Amino acid sequence: MIVRKHPVPVYASIVLVCLVFLGDRQSNALQRQAGAIVGEAAGSGNITIRNSNGQSLQVQLPVKRIVVLNPDALEAVRALKALALVVGVNSGIHRDNPLFWPGLSNRPGVGSWKDPNYEQIVQLEPDIVICYARRPGMDLEKKLGPFGIKAIRLDFQKIGTLEKELRILGRVLNKEKEAGQLIDWYREQQEVIREGLKKIEHRHYVYSESYSPYHTSGPGSGGNEICILAGGFNIASGFSIPYPEVTPEWVLAKNPQVIIKAAVAGNCYGMGNGGPLKAIRKEIMRRPAWNTIRAIRDARVYVIESGIWTGPRAIIGISYLAKWFYPEIFEDLDPEARHREYLERFQGIKYQGVYVSGD
Amino acid sequence: MKDIRQQYQDLTNRKVFFIVFFVVVLFCVACAALAQGPSSVGFKGAIAALFSDSGVSHAIVYKLRLPRIVMAVLVGSGLALAGTVFQAILRNPLASPYTLGIASSAGFGAVTAIVSGAGFCTRYLIAGNAFFFTLLSSFLILAIARIKSSKPETMILAGIAVMFFFSSLSSLFQYMGTMEEVQEIVFWFFGSLSKVGWNEVAMASVMILLPAPILLKWSWDFNLLANGDDSAKALGVNVEAIRRYGIVLASLITAGAVCFSGVIGFIGIVSPHMARMVIGNDHRFLLPCSMLIGAVLVLAADILGRTLWAPQAIPIGIVTSFIGVPFFFYLLIKRQRDYW
Repeated sequence: MIVRKHPVPVYASIVLVCLVFLGDRQSNALQRQAGAIVGEAAGSGNITIRNSNGQSLQVQLPVKRIVVLNPDALEAVRALKALALVVGVNSGIHRDNPLFWPGLSNRPGVGSWKDPNYEQIVQLEPDIVICYARRPGMDLEKKLGPFGIKAIRLDFQKIGTLEKELRILGRVLNKEKEAGQLIDWYREQQEVIREGLKKIEHRHYVYSESYSPYHTSGPGSGGNEICILAGGFNIASGFSIPYPEVTPEWVLAKNPQVIIKAAVAGNCYGMGNGGPLKAIRKEIMRRPAWNTIRAIRDARVYVIESGIWTGPRAIIGISYLAKWFYPEIFEDLDPEARHREYLERFQGIKYQGVYVSGD
Repeated sequence: MKDIRQQYQDLTNRKVFFIVFFVVVLFCVACAALAQGPSSVGFKGAIAALFSDSGVSHAIVYKLRLPRIVMAVLVGSGLALAGTVFQAILRNPLASPYTLGIASSAGFGAVTAIVSGAGFCTRYLIAGNAFFFTLLSSFLILAIARIKSSKPETMILAGIAVMFFFSSLSSLFQYMGTMEEVQEIVFWFFGSLSKVGWNEVAMASVMILLPAPILLKWSWDFNLLANGDDSAKALGVNVEAIRRYGIVLASLITAGAVCFSGVIGFIGIVSPHMARMVIGNDHRFLLPCSMLIGAVLVLAADILGRTLWAPQAIPIGIVTSFIGVPFFFYLLIKRQRDYW
């Protein structure tokens, strides 16, 4: 009846919904193939890579000047000992976390990770710009393309794609040996956890809360990924979006054994004490009616800072989670020592700061 | 033929009937909200749990469901009351806590707390900041009105300027924020009742329920204002004072409504219009009726948000617009006579 009366709007809506659905499927399909070196033309110095958003791109080697918008990628660049190539950075690193980035204060900031200043980038004459897979938008390629500047989109956010992305970065920056060393280190750390997890009989139920209260980490989020890799059973793993809101009653009904809370602290590296993280933990412990939840009763509530939650240091976060989930199995695992090794060996900075709270 | 007194009495009875009707509807919706949740506590269990003094069911009903219901009623009625008062004193059907920039300033307060607090801010800091900036914006509007004049047009234009000012400040902070901060800001703007406990209810009650009786007492003055400033002045209404204090009190109510629950759009503008369509423009009845409709809308939106896609919750700010806008369009199209 409705269709007969109003055929145009009804059919237009159906077509629109289908297009959105198909577009999403296509984008997901592209993402599944993301992050690879797909070709290398002999002798020409040209390589073809596939970005984290699934799109292919030709890059002329050697790359001598780079601008890095994505702070996670900047950490990877430093781990590959390629900071000398960086001629411009995301302005946020100077403002939010200068201690973590010593030696970069003289590199010009070119705007934010999501909205850079194109004119400034062009002025710096980089060969490539490294940014997140989806942000900034495809305008970046359109604006910088005419100047011969290529945009390489690498996230360095999820542990599952980290290895592929490191290989691409190592190849592009001619730092394959360093990339290999870091990948080996990652594998070593993951192997220890994988071996430990073989001994568990039942996975612990985990409520993983994202940065905003009552927004959990669903499928597609970094929080879900590291929870699973650490051997936890994420109670929101059956959801359909990455950061859904849930009600306090749902968490209570699920009765998780462990609660993990991700927190943001731009300058965690410079933090002298864990007071702010402890305050967040205290707030969770005191949430109305939650005192009947197993995790609260057993004081198994842990707060973890975003720097080791996702990104190149997610393996440190996984180590903490594994130890919190199964302390008897991972008795000898020392996440802090791993973190120290990563910062001192791969990042070339001393270990300091507070990143977690569990008491 | 009935005499005029009898006709007036009938009309009044009809209005009282509608108010009683909406009280009953609100009670039924509240009962539905009390019975609904992801745990196994149903309606009977919830009623029994209310009268017990221990156990998990008691904790679920008394500490999670009941404060949420009370907050939904407070927020809905508060936003609706503020919207009706703004429309009355500014004599403009588009006036609402949002068109006057009150909500954008609350949003800016929350954004400032999220970004400058580097994510370690408690929700009380976010709420306190939202409250502070809400009052700041209303005083800004008042100051402009005081310098120029307290005419409705001046106040609306000042409100629109304030709205754009705070919106652009919020955008600037989002622009400067990290990915995690942007995520938290976006979620705050969606609105949510999940973070609400009895402490928040107590604080919001003070901010919403204390100014409400004063505004209800001014019903006659609002009625007279509808005929124009000169006419109201001639009948003894202190128009400037009503307008200034009305703005401050309605802003205080808005601040109480949004600071803990985030931005819940549409209620402040749609509830007064819905109430006007069924009950007319007499503010003695319009104000309570609008409050009841606002409360029913927010409570119903919260139930839908929790159940439509359970256990994932759809943020209440999204649901209020989704259910409110089509219903409002329906009323606008079906309504034969002008009601404003």
